[in-house]
Amino acid sequence: MYADEARRPGPRRGPLAGVRVADFCWMGVGSVATRLLADFGAEVIKIEDRTRIDTPRKLPLYKDERARNFGEEVVGSDPDKGGLFNNYSRNKLGVTINMRSAAGRELAERLIAASSVVTENFAPGVMERWDLTYERIRQLRPDVIYASGYGHSGPHASYRSYGPVVQAVSGLSYISGLPGREPSGWGLSYMDNQAAFYNSAAILMAIRRRMLTGEGTEIDVSAVETGIGLLGPVLLEVTVNGRRTRGRHYPTGNRLEHRRAAPHGVYPARGEDRWVAIAVFGDEEWSRFVDAMGRPGWADDERFGSQQSRWEHQDALDAAIATWTSQRDRYEITKLLQDAGVRAGAVQNAEDLNETDPQLAHRGVFFEMDHPVIGEARFEGVPIHFSQSAPDNWRSGPLLGEDNEYVFRELLGVGEAEYARLAATGAI
Amino acid sequence: MAAGDAGDLPQSAPYADLSVVELAGDPAGEALGKLLATMGASVIKVELPEGAPSRHVGPTAAGARDDDPDASLNFWFYNVSKRSVVLDYRTADGMDRLLALLSNADVAITGWRPSEWAALGMTPAGLREDAPQLIVANLSPFGLNGPWADMVSCDLVGLALGGPLNSCGYDDHSIPPIRPGGDQGYQLTASFGHLGVLLALLERELSGQGQIVDVGMHDCLSVSAELANPYWFYPRVLVHRQTCRHAQPTPTQPALFATADDHHVYFALITGEQKPWQSLVSWMESKRLAADLADPAYDDPAYRLANFAHIQQLVEVFFLLQTAGDIYREGQQRGLPVGVLNAPEDLPSDEHLTARGFFVAVDDDAPGGPHLYPGAPIRFSACRVPELTRAPRLGEHTSAVLEVDTAGSGGAQ
Repeated sequence: MYADEARRPGPRRGPLAGVRVADFCWMGVGSVATRLLADFGAEVIKIEDRTRIDTPRKLPLYKDERARNFGEEVVGSDPDKGGLFNNYSRNKLGVTINMRSAAGRELAERLIAASSVVTENFAPGVMERWDLTYERIRQLRPDVIYASGYGHSGPHASYRSYGPVVQAVSGLSYISGLPGREPSGWGLSYMDNQAAFYNSAAILMAIRRRMLTGEGTEIDVSAVETGIGLLGPVLLEVTVNGRRTRGRHYPTGNRLEHRRAAPHGVYPARGEDRWVAIAVFGDEEWSRFVDAMGRPGWADDERFGSQQSRWEHQDALDAAIATWTSQRDRYEITKLLQDAGVRAGAVQNAEDLNETDPQLAHRGVFFEMDHPVIGEARFEGVPIHFSQSAPDNWRSGPLLGEDNEYVFRELLGVGEAEYARLAATGAI
Repeated sequence: MAAGDAGDLPQSAPYADLSVVELAGDPAGEALGKLLATMGASVIKVELPEGAPSRHVGPTAAGARDDDPDASLNFWFYNVSKRSVVLDYRTADGMDRLLALLSNADVAITGWRPSEWAALGMTPAGLREDAPQLIVANLSPFGLNGPWADMVSCDLVGLALGGPLNSCGYDDHSIPPIRPGGDQGYQLTASFGHLGVLLALLERELSGQGQIVDVGMHDCLSVSAELANPYWFYPRVLVHRQTCRHAQPTPTQPALFATADDHHVYFALITGEQKPWQSLVSWMESKRLAADLADPAYDDPAYRLANFAHIQQLVEVFFLLQTAGDIYREGQQRGLPVGVLNAPEDLPSDEHLTARGFFVAVDDDAPGGPHLYPGAPIRFSACRVPELTRAPRLGEHTSAVLEVDTAGSGGAQ
């Protein structure tokens, strides 16, 4: 069944051991939502469709190959060598079911009946087309927890929401950028992460509640609503004080309106596109900052004599600081200022985080596991340290349909002849 | 209250059985407390006599004094549905009262670096000595150990060192990376703190024991830049920031378009797929702005790729002649992933959010209320969440919670 017996699923460790999840989730936001469950012991069975390969399997992040932007998919590439999928689907089992076939749908219902959590994030209407509504799933498993999509109701429920669209609609992009020009927004799908984390939390809350009451539930997490909840105090300035943010003075780039920190910015360091962030929140910190710089003459400028005055003269202040930072290494500045108790930090990229950051190395944030096609690969670990629990990293991401035989034959008891028929007819 | 004492949970809120003591004063710990409170936990915010630091951060409610500890909108945003107890735990009597509170609590939220714990004469384990059920969730800049554990940070510095900032900014790289708005470094820390507390609660159902949940903002941010790490893990390349779209190994076309009403929409023009291409062209034709794009030559994705710059220009004009709201609604109805860049003031009147009843009225202390606050981000069919209540005034619930005895000199105020 498994060419390498080490890939055969065994007993799991962790607070979710014994919880089986029929996981229809796909794309980044869906895959991240169920990853944490798999990390902490749940038997997450990822259900895929051989004719509709999950996007992270196709995005061209390949080991030992040249760099391609993520839109540059390679037609016909091996779905088992996608690095992003591996990062998102570690510790999960993988099966394939063709939901357009009656036999496939029947098999999915058997899997759901044997699971206690069902997750999906398809466009609205897909699960309904397969008759997998909450009502139907509850007939299969009365205490089921059903985490379905992102936002079930309302006139825009069918709108396409992926990270950058959610960030735009929720206001998170608009509030990010320099005044008087277009927003800089986000260079990542921040809301794919945050919506996934809120969905993970919702599933854990529902599992805990079921432990206490025996009762299941349907879960509704809207990514846009989650994003609005992350806007911060500016939202209350609008609803309580009636502020209008549109105009030439908002947003404020790296500067703060509150507290009146100054400097509060990102400054050029020595080297190409090297930067260091510095934030000074009060007069005492300013004094330490000036001492750490060796008391340059410009720091005595009367415009920089108080926090309020520095805040009002940030253009001049930032220019002066940049002359000091641009001659120095970003880590040298970080150490010098941190030793003086001043908030400062180099802008780090992925190479810095993975290869030289001593704190992340000490904390063991990244880890490695082998993969049958990719080989040894790095993973982003769970950044939570527990005194009594730990993630159970037992296997890298599943090959397409790797666990079909184990799940369908051993867990669901499908007979040999029926299994062969399902395979021959393309139902799995 | 403590483990196993679930009470009448059906219909009641998911955290209705939980008692939380919040000692943290930065947005990470406060946002975690808010998540717990919003979903039904009893959250007691323990403050020193001068009030939590967040009370002294603006903006303030219109008309209030700048130094009014009860008028900070920053505090209001992060502290809805909590109660405030003033307790000087730097004194022996205050510490006794704090430990008494913790002895009946399920979760303590703290936010101290190792040196700050030491200065207070406390340890995370010490808080649990007489409270084995207690989960101590410490959300600090770098976690409780490691060579950087005592470094100082804030949202901007955290995002810089942790990596997400490297992906955010403008195409013009003479402009530094730009911090996204809000307190997203703290918010990501709060999200992982929430997941940590939930996992510890589940563990406690099995073991009967609480534990320490150590969350470092730096750890959280280092795994939260989406594609940046996988690009390093696999093809070993770095991504570079671009204006309001994904940082990528090499530059891509702009995705932000100006509109007739001087707003913006986000639209990733992907010409490789047939269906969205046809949707776009038929939409442009409906406004008589497709120019030559309906020409059969464009049926070939390779031809579209070769003429991408021309297509991009036509789409720019197409969007420039319409309002952002119209583009959003019609584009989405045609199945295209287009998003309007809403400003915060656009949100309360949004038809979709209104239909879902997302914003809720809270009777706060500002004139002209009640005012709209963002509602619960998670909904369950099986139970309700409680109504949001306004953030507490400093010490508003001290006597109710501590049942003050008049002898308490250095403790309750």
